[in-house]
Amino acid sequence: MKSYLLSPDKILTFVKELSRDGSLYYPMFEEGRTHLVRFDDAHEFKPDFAKIRTAENIKQFFFPSRDTVAKFPKDDVRQVDKRYLFGVKNCDLRGVDIHDRVFMGWEPVDPFYKERRDKTIMISADCPEPEDSCFCNLLGLNPYGDAVCDLNFTELPAGLLFESYTKRGEEIIDAYKGMFTEVKNDDEKARKSIREKAITKLSKINSKPFKKDLPARVEAADKARIRDARDECVECHACLHACPTCYCFLLSDYKKGKDIERVRIWDTCYYAAYARVGGGANPRSRIDERFWNRFQCKFDFFNKYENTLACSGCGRCLLGCSAKIDIREILWNL
Amino acid sequence: MEPINPYYPIPVKIKEIIPETPNITTFILDGKPFDFEAGQFAELTIPSVGEAPFTPSSSPYDDHMEFTIMKVGRVTDALFNMKEGDLVGVRGPFGKPYPLQNFKGKEVFIVGGGVGFAPLRSLFLALLHDLKNYKKVYIRYGARTPQDIVYKRLIPEWQKIDRVDLLMTVDVGDESWKGRVGVVTVILDKIPVDVKTSPSVVCGPPLMMKFSTQRLVEVGFKHENIYLSMEKNMSCGVGKCNHCRVGKFYVCKDGPVLTWQDVKDIEEPFL
Ligand SMILES: Cc1cc2nc3c(=O)[nH]c(=O)nc-3n(C[C@H](O)[C@H](O)[C@H](O)COP(=O)(O)OP(=O)(O)OC[C@H]3O[C@@H](n4cnc5c(N)ncnc54)[C@H](O)[C@@H]3O)c2cc1C
Ligand code: SF4
Ligand code: SF4
Ligand code: FES
Repeated sequence: MKSYLLSPDKILTFVKELSRDGSLYYPMFEEGRTHLVRFDDAHEFKPDFAKIRTAENIKQFFFPSRDTVAKFPKDDVRQVDKRYLFGVKNCDLRGVDIHDRVFMGWEPVDPFYKERRDKTIMISADCPEPEDSCFCNLLGLNPYGDAVCDLNFTELPAGLLFESYTKRGEEIIDAYKGMFTEVKNDDEKARKSIREKAITKLSKINSKPFKKDLPARVEAADKARIRDARDECVECHACLHACPTCYCFLLSDYKKGKDIERVRIWDTCYYAAYARVGGGANPRSRIDERFWNRFQCKFDFFNKYENTLACSGCGRCLLGCSAKIDIREILWNL
Repeated sequence: MEPINPYYPIPVKIKEIIPETPNITTFILDGKPFDFEAGQFAELTIPSVGEAPFTPSSSPYDDHMEFTIMKVGRVTDALFNMKEGDLVGVRGPFGKPYPLQNFKGKEVFIVGGGVGFAPLRSLFLALLHDLKNYKKVYIRYGARTPQDIVYKRLIPEWQKIDRVDLLMTVDVGDESWKGRVGVVTVILDKIPVDVKTSPSVVCGPPLMMKFSTQRLVEVGFKHENIYLSMEKNMSCGVGKCNHCRVGKFYVCKDGPVLTWQDVKDIEEPFL
């Protein structure tokens, strides 16, 4: 695959150019966490591409936590602007891949998701330094973008080394041809070595793979052990709100003047009322049932439906957990 | 072409309201917001209250749409406060219809309980529309008391139709009730159809579903020929929000009717 090098002195110009075409978000490190912030010419551009994924997952760009999806009795059209996500990580791309399947993979296509997806360019960055919470390697992912993204880059002393994965990616490279310089053999070698180091680090952090038949083990899990595993859960739902692959939502109607607005809100399957039906019957009235439903959904159901696991190994759930439950431990122990 | 908005409900007025029982009412809409096939369902919006899933109880061939609804909670309470001429919203059709092509030339054995007769009525009317295509249609229906029987105004006519065999039972009778007494399985004691080939269709409250299905399996209906209406919590109706998932199915998209073959390995599939 052809690579393109953007030398360090050109990065700001490139970002500025892109930000003229659409709002651009990049990772900035602040008080121990990385956040995606909007590029603004008036503020200093201080990206941190080497850090792992941002604290917040990126699904909010395509599937906001609160989104008006219809008006009644008369609907109207809502506009979405073009955006660039510059420097996101591969685990979050897996989240987008899962959402692509749910919202666009089968009929009906969700027009709100699709429009945001169509208007958002995703430029991912390598993770040279995976951290203890990262386990993308156990889900078959590399610590760099190699699908789903439009472009991916590796940060090198010589600049940002890009590769393109879509036609949109090609078009960007083409449009800014003049900014890129010739790629040397050494640049490609440096990239290779960064990637090897990152993969080695990940396999040290997570030396034990998940068992091949993980979905079947989740399906057949022993009830008593599930109860033990969830014993610590205090039902804060942090794991679910932080998760880039979770896609549960609820449609709620609100009165706005004479009209009604239908709002789509992130939901989580740990809520007691989540599956309750009219009259009060509830297939998952107990928390251990709901706790396990999350595992069934991600590792068994989604695998049956789409032949992939609905987890990216981003580690947000284990860092966010009030009870310090590590999803890896539960999966390893099955 | 721009994808249409699957979350937008089509506004339509309530034309007529027909109380069926003390807590079940049929709402007839002024027209037909969209075509559907028997077994497919819709999401009904009560403005500024919210929506809930219901299966039309009218014939897919009618030029209007009806729902027969039991009052059980927030959305249905609000609906029961509405009047003829009031505006509601409808989205659909969602899910898969009954596979009527598989019913051709066969005896169709329908088992219903309570308000579960609503979707079954739509199926029954669709079968009546082409009755010559089917060998015979059996209906076994159970309600709590004689007052709780839906479609009392229509059943006597249906019972007169050649090739239709309709039996009823009530859990608790009264002085006026001359029919069978007991839960729906009492009218499943004799099943006069060829169980090897016949399809059976069940819709009703969870316990009724459970015991009727047990009985149908026991007498030898093929597991893939037992069609069950799965009542699950739903929000989107289009296989996105995840609320209705059971086993490996989105009930709104892969159902709402699944077969016993599909759900028999699920623990308590009807809960
Ligand atoms: C495919 C299908 C077809 C159906 N067909 C029929 C039919 O033909 N006739 C019929 O009578 N019934 C039918 N039902 C059942 C019907 O959908 C329920 O009775 C109805 O949803 C009850 O809604 P309710 O708000 O009145 O009840 P409630 O008990 O108030 O609520 C029902 C569910 O919605 C949730 N809920 C309520 N309020 C809120 C809120 N503010 N925010 C979030 N969640 C909330 C609750 O958790 C509960 O799980 C069908 C169900 C399905 C799935
Ligand atoms: S999980 Fe993998 S892709 Fe995600 S931040 Fe960590 S190393 Fe990067
Ligand atoms: S389950 Fe945890 S590790 Fe997996 S994608 Fe969700 S937040 Fe990340
Ligand atoms: S109701 Fe939303 S997925 Fe089925």
